[in-house]
Amino acid sequence: MQRTSLTKKQIRGYREFLYVLPFLILVLIFSYYPLYGWVYAFFDYKPPKPLSESTFVGLKWFKSMVENEVKRKQLVSVLRNTFAMSGISLFFSWFPMIFAIFLNEIKCKPYKKFVQTVTTLPNFVSWVLVYAVAYNVFSNSGALNSLLKEWGMITKPIDYLESTSHIWFKMWLWLTWKNAGWASIMYLAAISGIDEEYVEAAKVDGASRMKIIWHITIPGILPTYFVLVMLNLASFLSNGMEQYYVFQNAFNKEYVQVLDLYVYNLAMGSGGYPLSTAFSILKSLVSVLLLFLTNFASKKIRGESII
Amino acid sequence: MKAKKIISLLCVVAMSAGLLAGCGKTTDGGDGGSGGGASGKSGGTLTLEFFDVAANYQGTQPGWFAKVVKDRFDLELNIIAPQVGGDALYQTRSATGNLGDVLILEAGQFQECVEQGLVKDITADIYNYDSFKTFKQQIDALNNGLPNNDGKIYGIPTEMMNTSPTSYSQDVIYSSPQLRWNLYKEIGSPEIKDLNGLLDALAAMQEKHPQTESGDPIYGASLWPDWDGGDDMIGIANVVQLTTWYGEKIKQSLILKPDGTFIPLTDKKGSYYKILKFWNDAYNRGLVDPDSFSQGWNEACAKMQNGQVLLFWYSWQQGFWNSNDRLKDGSAFIFVPVKDQKYYADADSFFGSGRVWAIGSKVDDEKYKRIMDFLSWYASPEGAMFQHDGIEGFNYEKGADGRLYQKNDNALMDNLPVPAEYGGGGYQDGNNAINQWIVSANSTNPLTNEPYAQSYWSTYKELMMTDMKKEWQQKFGADEPAEYMKKNNVLVISPNVSVALPVDTNDIAVIRNQCKVAVNDWSWRMIKAADDAEFDSMWDKMTTELDGLGFQDLMKFDKDKYTIELNAKNAVK
Repeated sequence: MQRTSLTKKQIRGYREFLYVLPFLILVLIFSYYPLYGWVYAFFDYKPPKPLSESTFVGLKWFKSMVENEVKRKQLVSVLRNTFAMSGISLFFSWFPMIFAIFLNEIKCKPYKKFVQTVTTLPNFVSWVLVYAVAYNVFSNSGALNSLLKEWGMITKPIDYLESTSHIWFKMWLWLTWKNAGWASIMYLAAISGIDEEYVEAAKVDGASRMKIIWHITIPGILPTYFVLVMLNLASFLSNGMEQYYVFQNAFNKEYVQVLDLYVYNLAMGSGGYPLSTAFSILKSLVSVLLLFLTNFASKKIRGESII
Repeated sequence: MKAKKIISLLCVVAMSAGLLAGCGKTTDGGDGGSGGGASGKSGGTLTLEFFDVAANYQGTQPGWFAKVVKDRFDLELNIIAPQVGGDALYQTRSATGNLGDVLILEAGQFQECVEQGLVKDITADIYNYDSFKTFKQQIDALNNGLPNNDGKIYGIPTEMMNTSPTSYSQDVIYSSPQLRWNLYKEIGSPEIKDLNGLLDALAAMQEKHPQTESGDPIYGASLWPDWDGGDDMIGIANVVQLTTWYGEKIKQSLILKPDGTFIPLTDKKGSYYKILKFWNDAYNRGLVDPDSFSQGWNEACAKMQNGQVLLFWYSWQQGFWNSNDRLKDGSAFIFVPVKDQKYYADADSFFGSGRVWAIGSKVDDEKYKRIMDFLSWYASPEGAMFQHDGIEGFNYEKGADGRLYQKNDNALMDNLPVPAEYGGGGYQDGNNAINQWIVSANSTNPLTNEPYAQSYWSTYKELMMTDMKKEWQQKFGADEPAEYMKKNNVLVISPNVSVALPVDTNDIAVIRNQCKVAVNDWSWRMIKAADDAEFDSMWDKMTTELDGLGFQDLMKFDKDKYTIELNAKNAVK
């Protein structure tokens, strides 16, 4: 057997490097390699003509985003929608936490499991199906309008899906219906991590249920909450497009078109790839910036960073 | 301990292998990844990938038409439909260099694909087939129109005809107002002066019949937004189509007037404004189905089949209601003229309907030969009869007099079960999913000397000489709607030409798409406008928004583009 000149420690180092290698490759391929696609933003690319034959146009597509008032207005309205809807989600981000706390307080096990399952299930229903349900219930000839008509409460159907009133809040409601149960799982885990002794001690001292929640449970899971909020902040600009894609129509588009959806609408079908790539570059840059900002804030406020 | 190590090592290896496998390039270039069933062996079953812009169905051709193709050519058709999968299919597939085996493309896409070498040169073989030789003039015209082409043949036009580029051989034009004859009579067969008169008529009908027998509400019209933006059209489909009622034809950002001049789509004197206002008025009079703004074509079509809709405007829409029984009892839809209208119609599609058949450049020789055999059959009278007339013995039969007689006229409408010997399944389910022909249904079938389309067979016309038809003929003094229009000089026929038009540059493509979306969104909102003032103010806002998106540049591009076509048309006249 050949003896190697490597020390035991070095061998261990190599071996452990091999353990992480698959994940490094994974990250390289799926997170860094796609960045190569950014070059499309600087060319007049239009398939089927390959990139090698397309003309280099520099920052033309970036400039065209803001070249006149109509486009600036469009951009502002898209950003407004993105911020508004992300903002509402952020503002209500305590909701899953409270939900988890109350869920945890249910003493009847089967009922608790039932509630948890029922609220978690919608997370696995795709948005297309959610919209199908929404359409059947809320459209002009849907179940709700038919019922109201039958009961003589209305004569003209109410436009639930097309009207723009409270649209952001309605979108948040759909999102919450779908996600709340799922999002509360993380908090349930955090709650189960709280030392039982605290609760026992509080009980001995005569603390009421509410007091235990207020003084033990909430402080116990607050760090989890903060980490999740920070992570959400970093993805402030990407609130996903599926939901808005299925719910958009000519009447509410002005208020539900978020950045991701705008990029999609631009690129798909018309082949506006360079322009939508330019948009997503800006989006990525702003997201990275936001992540650093929240990290900085976290360091200042809580004394620990998240990355 | 040892076992653990081995397991973790195995995990590492497996994960790395899994990762790398995902990145591997497919070695099989000719097939473009058409999984399953594809075998290049001579005589074996071969799967053809159809990249088909006309198809409404994606997947393997099922049912009776699959059997027809399998029995004759041992082929299976795998249809890739951008109408189902999204237009991005064209962009992503063409970017990889292989669109598919058989291609049905829009004219502009065809031009791009020839330039980029995605289309096979078929010069050497095409005229060895009789069914293509018949259309040599048309095929040559298409290919000679390609920029920098020196006599090579790449494509075959869709829906060619063997009449002439200026004639008009159909009985009913593509779009015209159609009403239910019995209801029209019930309200006293009023003479309809203009669009307002049409609304009055619809309102009167709706008032008499607010509900179907089963209690479903009846509407003057039911619209559907999900066709908007298709066919490179700017403006919503339910408006664009109706603008032809005033002799005008929307050419993307422009409107072509009957006198051969172009005006902007946004001109308030143009027909887009007029028809949009018509729908707005209809909406405010409660004649438009409230679901119109969110339903898809399938829901709208279901209402048409259910008798909930009083106005039709496509000629083929009749197929969803006019059964032979309804034609006999007079409750069928038929053209009713509106006095101030002048109808635009495209002449016989002698040079084709605008799309192009082609073969992908990556097919191997064996596959190529089998595709050509298949396509030549598809263009032959036998193939054309399967597409336009269905199955002999099920959809029609030959009479003792040698003429063809229709059978099971409701096969498509009611999805009748097809006997097992013809492949089984529902008739509509197994219908030709390619949904595009080489030879038009209005072409003359050399085997019968009548058009392929069943409704033009002499036997069918004799059968359809119903009381309703006789009453109609008496009232309007003509045998058929198109004849009425010709007699009264209200038919504008635009000759069929074969010209290659400039393809959008990247800038124009982006502008076009953004303008398309803006016009569509504003249009739907305008239909719901509360009054004329709101309607006009929305129209002005739309115009401002369009200008900001680059509408002026787009119009300039379109004007140059369509002047080429217009000149060619004028040359034919």
